[in-house]
Amino acid sequence: MRISTNTIYNNGISKINDLTSDQSKLLEQISTMKRVLKPSDDPVAAARALQVKQAQTLNTQYANNRSAITSNLENVDTTLNSISDILISTQSTIISAGDAAYSDSQRADLAKQIRSSIGQLVGVANSKDASGNYIFAGYQTNTKPYTETATGATYAGDSGQANIQVSAERTMPANYAGSQIFNANGVDVFATMSNLATLLETPVTTQAARDALTAGLASANSALGTSLDGMLAVRSQVGSNLSELDSLNTAGTDIATQYASTLSGLQDLDYAQAVTDLTKNKTVLEAAQQSFVQVTNLSLFNYLK
Amino acid sequence: MATSNILSIGQSALSAAQAGLSTTGHNIANASTPGYSRQVVIQGSAGAQNFGYGYVGQGTQVTTVQRIFNDLLSSQISSSQSSYNQINTYASQMSQIDNMLADSTAGVSPALQNFFNTAQTLSANPSDASARQAYLSASQALASRFQSVGNQLNSINDSVNSQIGSSITKINSYTSQIANLNDMITKAQNLTGQPPNDLLDQRDQLVSDLSKEIKVTVVNQQGSYNVFVGNGQPMVVGGDKYTLVPVSSPTDPTKVEVGYLSKGVVTVLGQQNITGGVLGGLLQFRDESLNSVKNQMGQLALVVGQAVNDQNMQGLDLNGVQGGNIFNVPVPAVNANTNNLGSGVVTASVSNASAVTTSDYKLEAVGTNFVVTRLSDGVTNTYSSMPQTLDGLTINATGTMQPGDNFLILPTANGAATLSVATTNINKIAASSPVVDAKAATTNAGNATVSTPLVNSSYAGTPLAAAFTLTYNSATNQLSGFPSGGPQTYTSGATITVGNMSFVMTGTPTNGDQFTVSPTTANSPGDNRNALGLVNLQTSKLVGGINTFVDAFAQVVSNVGNKTNELNITGTAEKTSLGLLTDAQQSDSGVNLDEEATNLLRYQQAYQAAAKMMQIASQLFDTLLTIGQ
Repeated sequence: MRISTNTIYNNGISKINDLTSDQSKLLEQISTMKRVLKPSDDPVAAARALQVKQAQTLNTQYANNRSAITSNLENVDTTLNSISDILISTQSTIISAGDAAYSDSQRADLAKQIRSSIGQLVGVANSKDASGNYIFAGYQTNTKPYTETATGATYAGDSGQANIQVSAERTMPANYAGSQIFNANGVDVFATMSNLATLLETPVTTQAARDALTAGLASANSALGTSLDGMLAVRSQVGSNLSELDSLNTAGTDIATQYASTLSGLQDLDYAQAVTDLTKNKTVLEAAQQSFVQVTNLSLFNYLK
Repeated sequence: MATSNILSIGQSALSAAQAGLSTTGHNIANASTPGYSRQVVIQGSAGAQNFGYGYVGQGTQVTTVQRIFNDLLSSQISSSQSSYNQINTYASQMSQIDNMLADSTAGVSPALQNFFNTAQTLSANPSDASARQAYLSASQALASRFQSVGNQLNSINDSVNSQIGSSITKINSYTSQIANLNDMITKAQNLTGQPPNDLLDQRDQLVSDLSKEIKVTVVNQQGSYNVFVGNGQPMVVGGDKYTLVPVSSPTDPTKVEVGYLSKGVVTVLGQQNITGGVLGGLLQFRDESLNSVKNQMGQLALVVGQAVNDQNMQGLDLNGVQGGNIFNVPVPAVNANTNNLGSGVVTASVSNASAVTTSDYKLEAVGTNFVVTRLSDGVTNTYSSMPQTLDGLTINATGTMQPGDNFLILPTANGAATLSVATTNINKIAASSPVVDAKAATTNAGNATVSTPLVNSSYAGTPLAAAFTLTYNSATNQLSGFPSGGPQTYTSGATITVGNMSFVMTGTPTNGDQFTVSPTTANSPGDNRNALGLVNLQTSKLVGGINTFVDAFAQVVSNVGNKTNELNITGTAEKTSLGLLTDAQQSDSGVNLDEEATNLLRYQQAYQAAAKMMQIASQLFDTLLTIGQ
């Protein structure tokens, strides 16, 4: 076939151009360590990577949420522990007060202890978190939830529970309202204790009064028991939530690893392959350049002297 | 027979060799001239004279100088040039969008993620000033991202407009030169009867250049080229030429269309009439890809903005007031055709952002009816009255229309560029819910509890007017006291819906137990229910009712990536096919310098031989003269 001189030059240049552009692409990939630099490089991977990245970011966000909620719940657990202690010590006070040998003044001393316990409980019920929010006020985190009164304490919070997303499928309460704890199982702890103190402050002069004391103590003891049961239920819920958070954390870490490896598979460069390709490309380019020079040197005019 | 005859034979050989040398030189000189076809000298015998004893030859003559040119290959190359340039132009325009979406750190997707991360932080700290500020800043960043994408797409559109203009200028210049050459070639041919090879080459080269801009049909009429574009619109007929003009689209002032000027009247040639070449590629890119990416991004901006606004309006802000708009949501554009005769006005608004499609719509007055065509699939709806709701849009028409009057409705085209933030006040973020509380009475003997109530999107319109108390009746196992309707049967764990809110009751109530649900007008600082609603938008399928925000964006990325990829591949195939045709044509018409070197030697020797012959004739003549001495 007849070949025009133009064709020899044009084809040579076009092949060298193609190789140079391949080389520049490989260099860009190697310098960024990314296989997909533009959506057109791999449209499916580029689109999928966006979705995986969102899932990855969400997973990180859920981990942050979990860590926030964990510290809240641990705080609640500690507080519940001290409340139980107070209630249990009040129960032993009740048992002491049942001693028939106790005088009115001895019972009045016990009443003082109980009144001081009420103050202590109100203090605990008005606990704040690190940001200064009341933890037992429901949604009214700026409002002091409990105010001590002559007959117990009044509640100014509400029953709100703030749920926080802790995994893609799960939201978890981050707080417990005071009404859930201090009114557990329908027993108002503050009123019960205040009534108890009033009962102990009442002098026992007749058999009827003694019977009333005994009955009152028994009922107070049982009410506190009911209340403790309620708190125990909340504590066990907190405990199971904390352990669920633990396992969600483990799962979250696993998923994070999985996302990272999926993303890497979608976008990252097979470095060894890329370097091999680059070397191959370089060899071919050199060969193309050399042969181009040799072919274009071939001219009959060289021999026309 | 005379020595003069020998001399004249030598002379004819000498001039033939000279013509050969000149033509070879011309070939060498034009070896790299674009569109040049190699020329060869066609020599023929000059005939012979009968001298009685036989015919004695009279030398040679040059019949013509011919260019080696193949009509078929040339028209195949023109057609291939048109296809290749169309795809190449489309691909290079497309790669601008491809590159724009390539930046994974500055794209819309990270801005969306950051926006929802701040919503998460807000849900964990609903009244915290810094969490609110972060949310507001992220919404500002998100709006800016959309605007930037929208503006980049608009500037690509502007650049397409100006490229259409310059392509039209080139086309007019080429066709005008072809018309001139038609004249010159006809005159030259009539005058000499010989083909003016270099003019022919120039004209064919112009046709090839013209094919790079637009697909043309060339009809050779007695040596003169008639050139047609589109559906047979003549551009050159003999020495006459017609022109294309850039015109503003009658239905969309942001677009430049191709107009065909004939007898002082401009007709707009639609995309279907302009195929091939740079012009075809630009129009195809705009109609198939640019508009669709603009609409998809606009749809996403519209749905994000509207969803966030709707959610914010369901809650109470930090001042205890119902939330307002966080974003200024893009509004549909309606363009009246500039050729409309009536005084009708069409307006469109979004009534349901999730149902809005990425299509544009055309409303046309037909008789007394209104025909609305969805341009993406050509589905039409005929209405006898207005307003009407279609695909999440409320379309209205007022005034008097003449039949044929039409309007272009662009619901999403400007969406990305026009999304902006509506508030800079961090207190305006509605994190809490307008229903504050649902609680069991402290006097209840049973252990039933009420969950925190949640409201739906219609709650803000008809909020709970006052608190209500439900009372349990163990005899009937029913709850009574609902704001409307009779008692409802109690089932532990079932969701109870009252108006636009709902809650769940669990446990065992006893007879007479009471549960109170109250609305609020005051913000509860720890209430994050509406913030959770804002968080949930991220994973809700709100775009077109089938895609989450990131899915919708990923779809744009995948569409753009696939199209660019496809164009690159077809572009490579077209380039190869153009290359093969060019090789074939060059193999025929191109200059080979080795061949010309051979020809140089050939004609040089012919020249030397002719000269020798003349020398011999001269010596013969001298010999005769010496006889007389």
